[in-house]
Amino acid sequence: MSSIKISNLRKIYGSTPAVDGLSLEVQSASVFGLLGPNGAGKTTTFKCMLGLARPSSGEILYDGKPLTPQSFERIAYVPERNVLYEWLTVDEHVEMNRRAYKAFDPARARELLSQFGVDHRKRASALSKGMRTAVMVACAFARNAEILVLDEPTSGLDPVNQRHVLSLIINEAAKGNSVIFSSHQIGQVERAAETIAIVDRGKVILSGLVDDLKADRKIVEGIFPDVGFSLDGIANDPRVSRVDRTERIVRLLVTAGADEIASRLSASGATGIRVLDLNLEDIFLYAVSPVTATTDIVTKEQSS
Amino acid sequence: MPAVLTVDPRSGVPIYLQIVEQVKRSVALGVLRAGEQLPTVKQLAIDLTVNPNTVARAYRELEREAVIETATGRGSFVRTDEVESSPRVAVEIGRDAVELALREAKAVGLDRDEVRAIFEAALERWFSELPKGDSQ
Repeated sequence: MSSIKISNLRKIYGSTPAVDGLSLEVQSASVFGLLGPNGAGKTTTFKCMLGLARPSSGEILYDGKPLTPQSFERIAYVPERNVLYEWLTVDEHVEMNRRAYKAFDPARARELLSQFGVDHRKRASALSKGMRTAVMVACAFARNAEILVLDEPTSGLDPVNQRHVLSLIINEAAKGNSVIFSSHQIGQVERAAETIAIVDRGKVILSGLVDDLKADRKIVEGIFPDVGFSLDGIANDPRVSRVDRTERIVRLLVTAGADEIASRLSASGATGIRVLDLNLEDIFLYAVSPVTATTDIVTKEQSS
Repeated sequence: MPAVLTVDPRSGVPIYLQIVEQVKRSVALGVLRAGEQLPTVKQLAIDLTVNPNTVARAYRELEREAVIETATGRGSFVRTDEVESSPRVAVEIGRDAVELALREAKAVGLDRDEVRAIFEAALERWFSELPKGDSQ
């Protein structure tokens, strides 16, 4: 069952579409990771999900129903730019949350704040960037919300606290709640998310289960005896999404059927056939900037 | 269960497959014994900091391959019928390793006789009847 369903969302600022026909579904009891370069439309999407920006068109449904004022009790949100009241202390922010949300658990919030190492007596204005993030995250995870929308929930945090946020996210999914989060740290998304969407220029350009994307997408490499080799139509195979030829070496980015394509390459005279795995960072780079990705792959092989 | 499982999320190998392979290896090595209980999906997800659905998928695959069985409400256990009598999982792991090595040898252009010579030498080194630590 999907707890969040976004269909064909568009948000146009002036004449520029920030989100341009974006669709995605977050299943219940799962973690969804949203990846994309800066300005891809992730934050605008989150704002539309929370009613903080009005969609130009499209639909956002929670358990099949549009957002209502009552929905806010069920949805916890960590915005990209943390919204704290500079003159209030951390304790006063906890108190403010307690008054705003029925299910908010102040004891849990204080426990999380102490785990993150936040001094609860300090005013917001005296907190570092990481500690400000920690305050937002601690309050969100103390909400007992069913849906968590987290825009860069680890930004500014040290590695120990980043891992702690990931554990909290995992724990929510284990309790049956749904989490959608964005991060520029692809490794975090790779670890915690079951499903991902890569967003570029306001559209989803690739989505799926992380494990399935890794299982299907491979680089198939072969070496031909002469420079003037022919690929015998392998390049036209719909599963071959990219062909790189360097001298006698050919490198194919395949989206499925790597072993079969490796056999075909071998049959057409190539030797030294290798099938290389791609991690999520490789997959991401290929999706959003193919040229950089190639350089990256080549560098990695030379160094290994 | 002993804390033997680790995953490398940055690897190109799907996380659920990493879990499947490690559980199989633990069973083959006897680190996980027949009838031994595995952690719950939730517990392992939290321990490894990976998505619970990913762990659940690994467990389903291990059930499908008859390495573990899950009793509703009681948890998942290493199957008793397999491990004691037949080292099936061990045979699978060994076969995969040999397959991989042979594929690589072929890819770099070795012929059958060359591979056989290498294989015989390696066999001699690793499987000679001399007691351990007494290799002259």
